[in-house]
Order: sequence, then structure tokens, then C-alpha cells
Amino acid sequence: MDCAWSENCEEVKVREKMKQRMRTRNKRELKILLPTLREKERYIAFQIVSEEPVTYADLEVAVWNTMLDFYGEFGTSQTSMWLIKNLYDEQMQFGVVRCNNESVAAVLAALGLINRLGDIRVVVKVLKVSGTLKGLR
Amino acid sequence: MPFFDLHVHSAFSEGESSVEQLAATAKLLGYSGICFAEYYKGEEQIKKLATEIQKAKDKVGIEIFLGFEARNSKELNILADKRKKFDVLLVHGGDVSLNREAAETPQVDILTHPEAGRYDSGMNHIMMKLAAKNNVAIEVNFREVLMTSKKSRSTLLQNISSNIAMARKFHAPIAVCSGAISHWELRDPQAMASFASQLGLTLNEATDCVSKVPEKIVRESESRRSTEWIAPGVKIVRK
Repeated sequence: MDCAWSENCEEVKVREKMKQRMRTRNKRELKILLPTLREKERYIAFQIVSEEPVTYADLEVAVWNTMLDFYGEFGTSQTSMWLIKNLYDEQMQFGVVRCNNESVAAVLAALGLINRLGDIRVVVKVLKVSGTLKGLR
Repeated sequence: MPFFDLHVHSAFSEGESSVEQLAATAKLLGYSGICFAEYYKGEEQIKKLATEIQKAKDKVGIEIFLGFEARNSKELNILADKRKKFDVLLVHGGDVSLNREAAETPQVDILTHPEAGRYDSGMNHIMMKLAAKNNVAIEVNFREVLMTSKKSRSTLLQNISSNIAMARKFHAPIAVCSGAISHWELRDPQAMASFASQLGLTLNEATDCVSKVPEKIVRESESRRSTEWIAPGVKIVRK
């Protein structure tokens, strides 16, 4: 960095270094919450029954649109829903969605309302609900 | 826990899928039994349907029941007379006078979507009391919800919630059915129960609406078709 124009070049360099350190610290993961403050999660395993194979992109759009249409933005926010991308198996058409423990019925209801993924007619079959990913296996 | 779907249409009436396709999909989704609710066209139709159902039962391996859905007062009277020849009698709700007639008829098992095509819920407290007295189940039809969106879905859900609240108050049975006309419209029973729990039922009550209530309807119907059955709560006991 060019600080030839500044009289306090050393001071500017030190300040830049400190800013860089702060940016790095903020990028690190948040410290884990206390157990009593942590949201209790539930994992819902489901399978897509369809005429043709379904891509993750279509599934994601359908799940989010259904939730948002049915419950609205605020209602969806209350469920803390998240579709887990790494766990979607395109061959078996098996997926996992995470939500909080109080919203399991709401998320299941929304999965039941999914009619089509893109142009493909589908039926969502609920396999299992568990508190841990290990419990789904 | 056994799950039953008592309102499914096959290609024999207004459906798009065959009896076998619907039965196979129902088995895949975890149902213990489904009922085909067809429109009455004559005695020969009953025999034809019964044969198809028996074939599908043997092939797929779930319980399949035969039902008829009355669309008007005349059909209701004919079907009520022939009650012992089939398993489940449904009435196509929506018209207030037909809703009332269905609630007053003890032979009726399910009044389907009483709020269909209406701005109000189609039922009042008098009709609900009659339905409770005659053991007529009020249906929550999932297909009606699937086929609507935005404002019309919102109005529909309001009316369904109103019927559910009244049914709970007067202890009328509630049955949650898919109303599917295609095997792609069948739904997972847990999803249907969860959906009903969003409309005013507790989760246990909603689960009973997909399992115990329809099971009770079909078992009572089976006992009704036996020669010992005289009237509800009365049967001949031979020693």
C-alpha cells in the first residue's frame, strides 16, 4: 500500500494490520450456544415419488415456494426450516429437511402440499422424523 | 397404526388412474386400506367394480373397499336402499339442502367437502348436531386445497377450519381424505394428519381422523353387511 504521501506511514500500516485481524476474527464460526439456548432440531427424511428423476434445484424451489405461499414469510421464519443439500440423493430421490421441534407438523403439512416439481407430478413420502441425523439411518 | 383413505376416484367414475395403480401407490405411501368412491350407474357396475377390486386386492395386498358417492337427493335415496351391497356411502357436499339431507340420513358414512364451491362453510350448528347424532363423518378434502391457491385457498381453509371447530364442539366425527382422482394426488397419511392439525385439531385428533375414524367406518360397514346385524348397536347373537 502506498503511504508515501502520509507523514504517519507506520501508524497507517499498523491500523491496516489491526483491521485485517478483525476481519479474519469475524469470519470464524460463531461460538456454540449454551444447550438451554440452542434450538431443538428435528430432521425429516422424505422420498420423492415421481414419473421422472427430480433435480435438487427443482426440489429446493418447490419446498421453499410451498412454505412461503402457505405460511408467508413470517410463518416460514418461525419454522427455522432448511433443506440439506449434501444429503439429497438424486438416484434414490431421498432428501432431508431440518426444522425446529415445534414446527414438524407445519413442515410435514407443507410437504404434503407439494404437487409438482417443475413440470413433473410428484408425491412426497415421509420416511422418518428424528432428533439426530444418525437416528434417520 | 393403520391408515385409511376413504375418498378416492378411479377411472370408473371421474378418475384418471386405474384401480390397480391407485392401490399400488396407496400401499407405497403406507395405507392399510383405501375406498373407491364411485358414482352410481346401476347394478352391473357394482358387480364389475367388485371384480376389479378383488383382482387389485389379490395383486397389491391392501384392503380395498367399495363406496358410492351420491351427487343428489335421488341418488342418495337409491343408494341408501341398496346400503348392504357396498361398504361406504358418501354424499357429495356443497349444496346446503343435500348437506342437511346427508346429516339426517343414518345410512350415510361421510359427507364430503360440505364447503365446496361456497363462500360459507356449508354447515350450521343444527346440521352438525344431526351429523353427530347419526354418526355422519365430516370430510376434510385434501384435493380441494391442492387445486386452489392464494385467495380461494385462503377462503377454503377458513371454511374448513369453521367446520372442524363445529365438529369438535358437537362431537361429530371428522375424516381426512385425499379426494384423489389420480394416483399422483394421493398423499402421505402423516402429511395429511399434520395438515389437519394446522386447521384446529390437535395432532392426536388429526392422526385419528386418518386412522381410527375411517377404520371405525369400514368395520361397522362390514358388520352391517353380516346377517346378524339388525340396527346400529343391535345384532342377533346365536348360541
